[in-house]
Amino acid sequence: MLLNYILINIISWLILFWGVAIPILILLKFVGLTGFRYVTRFEKHDSFFYRMNPVTKLALGVGATVVASTTAWFIGAGLTVILLILFFSLKDGRRKFMLGIYIIIMTVVGVTWTYAPYTPILVLNEAGFTTYTTIWVWPGYFGVMGYLHDLTLQALIYGMQISMRFTAALLAALVLVMTSTPSGILRGLKKVGMPEELNFAMVVAMRSVPRIFDGIDVTVKSQFMRGLGSNHTKYLWPFYTLYAAVVSILPVFIYLLKGARNTAISADTRAFRAFPKRTYLNPMVFTRLDYIAFVFIGIMIAFVGVAIELGWGRAIPYVGF
Amino acid sequence: MMTDEKKGIGTDVLEQQAVRQLTSRNVVEISGLSFRYLGRDEVAIQADNFKLKEGESVLIVGKSGEGKSTFVNCINGVIPHISGGELKGEVRVYDKLVKDTPMSKLCVDTGTLLQDPESQVLNYLVEEEVAFGPENLALPPDEIRDRVTEAIAETGIYNIRDRETYVLSGGELQRVALAAVLAMKPSLLILDEPTSNIDPAATQKIFELLRGLRGRKTMLVIEHKVERMLPYVDRIMLIEKGRISLDIPKQDLVNHIEELNEAGVEIPPTYFYAKQLGLDNVDVTYIRQKIREKGIVLAVPERRKAERTLMQVDARVSVMSKIKGQNTEKVLLDASLNLGEGEVLAMMGQNGAGKSTFLEAIMGYLDKTSVNFKVRLVVDGEDLSKTSIQTRGKYITFVPQTFELTIVTNKVESEVAYSLKQHGVKDYKSKVEELLEMYSLTEVRGKDPLALSMGQERRVAMASALGSGAKIIMLDEPTSGQDFYHKGMLGKEIRKLQTLGYSFIIVTHDSRFVYNYADRMVVLSQGHKVLEGTPEEVFLESEKYSIPPPTDYYLRV
Repeated sequence: MLLNYILINIISWLILFWGVAIPILILLKFVGLTGFRYVTRFEKHDSFFYRMNPVTKLALGVGATVVASTTAWFIGAGLTVILLILFFSLKDGRRKFMLGIYIIIMTVVGVTWTYAPYTPILVLNEAGFTTYTTIWVWPGYFGVMGYLHDLTLQALIYGMQISMRFTAALLAALVLVMTSTPSGILRGLKKVGMPEELNFAMVVAMRSVPRIFDGIDVTVKSQFMRGLGSNHTKYLWPFYTLYAAVVSILPVFIYLLKGARNTAISADTRAFRAFPKRTYLNPMVFTRLDYIAFVFIGIMIAFVGVAIELGWGRAIPYVGF
Repeated sequence: MMTDEKKGIGTDVLEQQAVRQLTSRNVVEISGLSFRYLGRDEVAIQADNFKLKEGESVLIVGKSGEGKSTFVNCINGVIPHISGGELKGEVRVYDKLVKDTPMSKLCVDTGTLLQDPESQVLNYLVEEEVAFGPENLALPPDEIRDRVTEAIAETGIYNIRDRETYVLSGGELQRVALAAVLAMKPSLLILDEPTSNIDPAATQKIFELLRGLRGRKTMLVIEHKVERMLPYVDRIMLIEKGRISLDIPKQDLVNHIEELNEAGVEIPPTYFYAKQLGLDNVDVTYIRQKIREKGIVLAVPERRKAERTLMQVDARVSVMSKIKGQNTEKVLLDASLNLGEGEVLAMMGQNGAGKSTFLEAIMGYLDKTSVNFKVRLVVDGEDLSKTSIQTRGKYITFVPQTFELTIVTNKVESEVAYSLKQHGVKDYKSKVEELLEMYSLTEVRGKDPLALSMGQERRVAMASALGSGAKIIMLDEPTSGQDFYHKGMLGKEIRKLQTLGYSFIIVTHDSRFVYNYADRMVVLSQGHKVLEGTPEEVFLESEKYSIPPPTDYYLRV
């Protein structure tokens, strides 16, 4: 009896940590700091995404988000697959495709685990599930964390379906970041009324992203060199990496702050905000490709209406629906 | 005359610059200047009278932290418009009172290039970066295009104009930053240690640019590389403890070398010998000839010969890239290295030669998702090739150029104790005391390391590195951005540690530092070791690899 109780507790905690640990492990083991840096920065290349106006790509991202969030999960999943395949058109497409897959797996596992243990039968009923298969019963005190008594297969499926609302939007955002310079993106945002100062802050922030990753890399490796985790099994090292990354936040932040003064001087000694308006070396232009993309986005949005009409809209209800 | 429609918003800028061209006068006039930073008791800079004529170039020298940057920041408007404090007196640039003129007006006349290109380059693409200033001035697009083209041509960065700024080397990035400043068409250029973070070849390119600008622009240059900067300036100004203690024409330098040397300024050795021998020519060949004629034998720095090899490394690092549809291997590093016990080995080479990759390969820092590598590492007879970073860290320690990033605790003593604790050393407290004492950190033991001065921070990083118990110390660019005085301190520290049994690998661009403190050196070029030997042997041929030998060496061969 006691043994059974202990075993249930151990397995329960293992399952709980599995949901948390898998995305972290994928991030550390398969994506890594280098991979993450790779999919969050612009690299020059020549294919249709790179030739598109950033405003068009912003619209594409918004369109993908609207479609994925208002239609049935399989439409979001289909859009995710299409966007993933389009990763092949990017610079070093094969590698970016693989990184895209890892990021999608992370997202699916993470989101599924965020929803599954908390989703009540009432919501699952609304989602169309009628029979339930209990795959694990949590110890009673898990209720303190908001966990329901049973973990059902249907709750996991529901969580996975929910994750399809995020994946397409995430990939569209990555495409935007990987194929447009930050200033291009922000000039697009300016067109929709975003203030210049905020745009500049975001350009500098995005320009700092590679420096942040480099800084974290130096700090994490330095901690390992100085013996972090050396007295423990190497299977725990991924967690030490995570710990070291958290510890690195302060020194990296201070390091960047020291450079921020130079950044301010560099901007102000080059007339930043000298006039209420700026002119541009290369005016933003919309080409035929952009118009084709806008037609495609229009079709996507129109499809939402058709999908809802066909009964494929909001197949998963919101809580309280 | 342009019609109003054709005028951009910023066309008054063009008129302001056109008017400036027609005037000939003092560009900068300072009287009764005094500035104190907020929260500080001492005055950071005081200058009773200073004038700078159109087309003049002034070299500003002095130890770090003595007020050089504060002085130029009072001229470009950073003080008081960005950095606040108590400002007294008058600073005028082209007759405009700096404190009453907004930055947007001042920057039309004054361009500023800073030390660290990483933090001053703001955009992703080179062309975007160069266009940033003219775009802010709201100039017409054609004018922006002309300025960008001109600045790119002037700084020789045409071949990288389409590149992403984050893939550029430090030297390339600094030229981009200079192009971005020149695109503003300033008449007065302020350069605050523009070559501190770049290699000799890139430094040479910056100096060549300055030569081209001399006379056309008025320049104020803060630079520690006095010897290399001298041909391009008219005056030398020493700032000591916040005061202009010397302001002389370049020709008078020979009469003031003792003062400058005492103030921690690096004086070319030829000036010393010229003075000692009563010569009025400071050309190195001439001085060398005179030294020989007089039978003077100059002492050569002592080179210690190691009795046994402590570390052996063979490293091959490559990346696969697709060229014309074919997978092609690009070798980043293919070299071997031996380090003797108690030896100081310097590693030199251009940016991208493979020096940092070599250190990373030794430390086990390489990322297999980014590069292919095969590294054989033997330390003290033990094969560490397949060991973790933690294991290697017991034998080898590494202080990167950005050493402040290695500081992870909030107290000096806990930072020094970090490695000892992680390695499970039981009597770590006595070792911590020893290290605190050794690096004069006892008084600040309870303080946050990141709140200390840069010099103290570096000492904390070194003390912490030694705390690992490793006897091999690798330093990446420890001389970068350091003045002559602090480089000397570092050299002495290395010599002292050497006598305690430590061995060093030092990556540096500073030939003079290598000549004075290294026992042996290697030169890397395109990932391969191309030269190896004592500094005397290597400097015979190093110029082939854009590593100019120091004057100290020339005088002795």
